[in-house]
Formats: sequence, C-alpha cells, structure tokens
Amino acid sequence: MNQENEDPTPFEQRTRTLLRDSAMQLDGATRSRLARARTASLAQRETRRSWFDFRYLAPAGAMAAALLVTVLFVGRHDAPGVNDSAGGALDDLELLADADAYELTQETDLEFIEWAATMGEKGQAGT
Amino acid sequence: MHCSIEAPADREGLVLTASRDQTTRALNGFLTEIERRAYRMAQIALRHEEDALDAVQDAMIQLSRRYADRPQQEWRPLFYRILQNRIRDTQRRRTVRGRLMAWLPWNADDAGEAPDPLAQAPDPTPGPGARAEGDEIMLALQVALQKLPARQRECFMLRNLEGMDVAETAAAMGCSDGSVKTHYSRAVQSLREQLGEFWT
Repeated sequence: MNQENEDPTPFEQRTRTLLRDSAMQLDGATRSRLARARTASLAQRETRRSWFDFRYLAPAGAMAAALLVTVLFVGRHDAPGVNDSAGGALDDLELLADADAYELTQETDLEFIEWAATMGEKGQAGT
Repeated sequence: MHCSIEAPADREGLVLTASRDQTTRALNGFLTEIERRAYRMAQIALRHEEDALDAVQDAMIQLSRRYADRPQQEWRPLFYRILQNRIRDTQRRRTVRGRLMAWLPWNADDAGEAPDPLAQAPDPTPGPGARAEGDEIMLALQVALQKLPARQRECFMLRNLEGMDVAETAAAMGCSDGSVKTHYSRAVQSLREQLGEFWT
C-alpha cells in the first residue's frame, strides 16, 4: 500500500492492527458518549427535515395563491382612483426628467402671447 | 366493505417517509461503523478527549443535516473532510488562545517566546484506548503519529486506520492523488525511523 493501492507492507499491517484495536477497545464511557452524539445528530436531522416536509408546503402554497388572487381582485377595483393620481404623478416625473420640457414651462414668450391675442381679436372682429 | 385504496398524495407521502427512514437507518449504520475510528483519529490529532468527542459529534451533525441525501459512497470522504476541518479549527483556536495568553500581563515572563502549539495541548498523555491496552508499542506509535506534520498524519490515518484508497483519501483531504501518495510515503518513512527500535 506504500504506493497506489498495493498490498500493505508488514509495517503498515502492524500499525493498522494496533490502531484498529485501540479504536475497538475504547472504554465504555467514551463508547456511550459516541452513541449519544450519533443519536443527537440523527435527531437533529429529523427536526430539520420536518420543516421541509412537503405536506406542509401544500397548504402554504394554497394560502399564497389565495392571497395573490385577493390582492389582484382588490387591486383591480381600486385601479381607476389609483391610476388618476398615479398619472398626474407620472406627468410631473416626466416633466422633471425632461430638461427641455421644464425650460418651456419656465420661459414666458411675451411676443408670442401678444401675437396670439392679436390674432384672436382679429378673428373675432372678422366674424 | 372496506376499501384500502390510499389517496395519491398520501401514498406519495408514505413513499417519501419510507425513503427518509431508510436513509436515516443507513446513516445510523454508517456512523456506528465509523465513530470509534473517527474518535481515535481526532483524539490522536487533538490530544484531548473532550475536544475529540466534540469534533466527532460536530462532524456527525454536519453530515446528517447537510449531506445525508448525497449518495452513500460519498459519506465517508465527506465525513472525514468535515472532521479534519473541525480538528484544524480546534488547533487554530488553541494557537490563538496561546498567543493571547502570552500577551497577558501575568505571562510577561514568557512574552518574548513564541507560543508552542504542542505546549498548548491540554493533555499530552495517551488516551484511554492506549491506557487500556497498556501496550508500549501502541504508546510509541501514538507519540510518533503526534510528531508527524498534520497533513501526513491525516493521510496516514485515513489510509491506514480507515482503509481508504488513494482516490477516496484525496477526496477526503481535498488534494490530488499525487499529494496523497507523497504524504503517505513520507509519513510511513518518518514512522519507520521513529519506531525502528520497537519494530525490530
């Protein structure tokens, strides 16, 4: 066994026998503690497993689906009111985001206003 | 007339439960078969019975909780990898504790000296396995194993005590087959030199 997986040499066989015997001859107290450790580790596996039991996932999934349907249903009834205010808010947002549009609202083109007023008066006089 | 036909969901649940119980039984059998050797390995590396028991229990818990659903042939290398990591963690903590103790004022006399990890080991005397056997050769082997570098000792114990082949040892140690062969060869050579007088 000194290289690949060959047969062990007498030295290796002897050390193996000694080590295995020492493992088998552990005192009762240590063996008992090892058995308790094993039992505890298996119990922890059982405890953890119960949280992931599929039988618990089915009702949880049904509740989640019902909640989703409720939210969608209620949300549709409230939609017009919400969209009104949301639409206004979106317009404001677009205005703020668009630098050109913001500048247009800030400039007062007096010449244009005067021209438009004049044209309006002429139109009224003509009719 | 009673009809014993089960609903599909119940049947599926029963199959799952039976499969899990089978895995738990297999795991129990595996751990029962391995626990004493694992303890000896940890005890020789850590030189402390309580620490060795803690390390083995932690490895058992980690394997049960995280890797029980893996194929059974993977359990052994996984278990020993977890155990060796736990052993290294314990040794590191001891080293750090030793350094901290050296800085404390009441250890001022020793502050100039580097902490010796071997000196920090709580119980240098052989464990109950060796004591019960009362065998001088076993004691000599244990002392010789404790003098080996950690990786060489780990490799020797996995191959010699646990009987793993090269590939399995490499998986457990997280290294190449070539490294396993090198570590093992050096460990055997060193042990031969140390134990020469007991083996003639």
